[in-house]
Amino acid sequence: MSAADSPPKKPSIRSDWISKTLAGQLLGLALALLASALFSDLTRASLALSPRGQLAMWMVAPLWLGIAGGVYFFRSGLQAWLWLGGATLLSAAALLALRA
Amino acid sequence: MRSDYIRLYKSVHTWTGILSGMALFIAFYAGALTVFKEPLARWSAPPRLQALTPLDQANSLITQALAREPELAQRFVLRLHEGPEVAARLLWERRDEAADDHDDSGLRRFGADLDAGGALRVQELQPSPLAGFIDVLHRVVGLPLDNDPNRWFMGLVSALYALALISGVVVLLPSLVKDFFALRLGKKNLKRMWLDAHNVVGIVSLPFHLVMALTAVVFAFHDQIYWVQDKLVHQGQWSSTMQRGGGGPPKAQAPRDPAQLLAPAALLERARAEAPGFEPDYLQYQQVLSPRAVVRVWGKHPEALAPRAQGGFVALDPYSGKLLSRDYLPGGQDTPNTWISSFFALHMAAFGGSTVQWLYFLLGLAGAWLFYSGNLLWVETRRRRAAKDGTPPTQRRDTRLMAAATVGVCLGSVCGLSLMLAATRWLNGLTPALLAWHQALYYGVFFAALAWAAWRGAARAAVHLLWAAAGLTAAIPAGSLLAWGLGRPWAQNPVLDLTALTGALALVWMARATARRVQQGAADSVWAAQAPSAAATAA
Repeated sequence: MSAADSPPKKPSIRSDWISKTLAGQLLGLALALLASALFSDLTRASLALSPRGQLAMWMVAPLWLGIAGGVYFFRSGLQAWLWLGGATLLSAAALLALRA
Repeated sequence: MRSDYIRLYKSVHTWTGILSGMALFIAFYAGALTVFKEPLARWSAPPRLQALTPLDQANSLITQALAREPELAQRFVLRLHEGPEVAARLLWERRDEAADDHDDSGLRRFGADLDAGGALRVQELQPSPLAGFIDVLHRVVGLPLDNDPNRWFMGLVSALYALALISGVVVLLPSLVKDFFALRLGKKNLKRMWLDAHNVVGIVSLPFHLVMALTAVVFAFHDQIYWVQDKLVHQGQWSSTMQRGGGGPPKAQAPRDPAQLLAPAALLERARAEAPGFEPDYLQYQQVLSPRAVVRVWGKHPEALAPRAQGGFVALDPYSGKLLSRDYLPGGQDTPNTWISSFFALHMAAFGGSTVQWLYFLLGLAGAWLFYSGNLLWVETRRRRAAKDGTPPTQRRDTRLMAAATVGVCLGSVCGLSLMLAATRWLNGLTPALLAWHQALYYGVFFAALAWAAWRGAARAAVHLLWAAAGLTAAIPAGSLLAWGLGRPWAQNPVLDLTALTGALALVWMARATARRVQQGAADSVWAAQAPSAAATAA
């Protein structure tokens, strides 16, 4: 694709196999674990340790693989790292705020 | 959706699919059989050697056995029914300490009963390993042992499988409405027909496949996820609580006297009161001489989902009958535990009775076909067309090898499983090394099929191996007929024989169709019989 393409055409989607895959796998796993921690902290009052821990464990794989599968929709590897990295930082901050 | 996305996700689908397809074929084919693990165990069990102790003498059996075999204080099982798979009323296992939790290969099994005079008789048991080994093949995608590294490999395959599902749906979605109602049959474009069929089977059974992929990843990596969450989420509370067995700190108490154990009938009444409709199968006693003694009353509930393939349990104090836990009791769970159990039940067809089991059996076979067809499409996409003058081209080496591997691995596992099923009841009692024999039969045929496919090429080998699979599968009902004729006292299962016969006929049909294709199909294909030799001389 060159810049001479007709103006209404959107920029092409970059493959960026390595950076997108790494973003999906690593940040996907980090986000999934943080989400499970948030879930566990928010349900601490209403659920006993055993079911709470089991549900938190079960939610990791669907979230992780969902993100790892959806990551190729980002326009580039950089975009994937920025969005998922931002989401990871936000979840981590939310968790710390909840525990503070 | 933009075509860029379709192109990207097609690559994801191709790579994740081709890396996981053959392992998943074995997992699904063996898994379809594992749905019927309990009937298989009943069918393959060796005849019982001594009469079962009547249930109302169970406590006398337990106290005598405890006095003679101190290891029973750890755990033992009391069976409540008298099916052919029940080798003794009282059962226990001696585990090789070094072995993995799920690794049963070094396990020794014992059974005890009372003879006519009321004296204890202990025997080492040689149960058929058939159903358990098929389950192992299913759990670790065809590898011989269910241990940690093999389960991690299975988990990796399952993660790829999940990505293949997501990417496959993305690729198909834009044309779903158009493609879903189209199965373009016909001789003109065989690849189009296979692709249509691959899409229809994939999209119709998508919920089933999503469940399987995600639960299998969890089954592989739960220990690791728990370990990380113990640090990140539970601050060490998880491991410290689970090591204590989930209960409170042990109370200092005198050891229990087994003569005071409640009779099984009283325990069953107690268990049924917790969940009306619950039907107990066996009692699993743990730490029976200690203050923490517990009996798990295992069983099934016809109208509730179960947390495990073999059902679920209510935990009672075996001396007082006091309720210790109903977290795993089918029909008696609270909402959070029902949620957790549903993940297991959805994987293991532990709900909805035999209707759902047959549905899962068919979905499992369809899944195996999905992976087989996916590999065929990979091969077809990379095939070289004939030149204008009609000379068949040399096919790429990788497509020839992939075609041969697909045929060898898939049909090899089908042949191996059928041979094991045909042979298993004739092996009972012949050798103490039953598991080794089953493994030798399975892997012998599996690797022979793989070698045959590599040597003769995918096209010809596919025909031979389909005929071999048909013959070996037909040997299952033929063996039952022979055993009946010889008057062997074996448990018969006409449904199993009929299913095997249907499978054999289906394989005959596939063998004939493949032979036709090999003879009459386009010569510029890995599925043409002439191609490999022509390629060899041309190269």
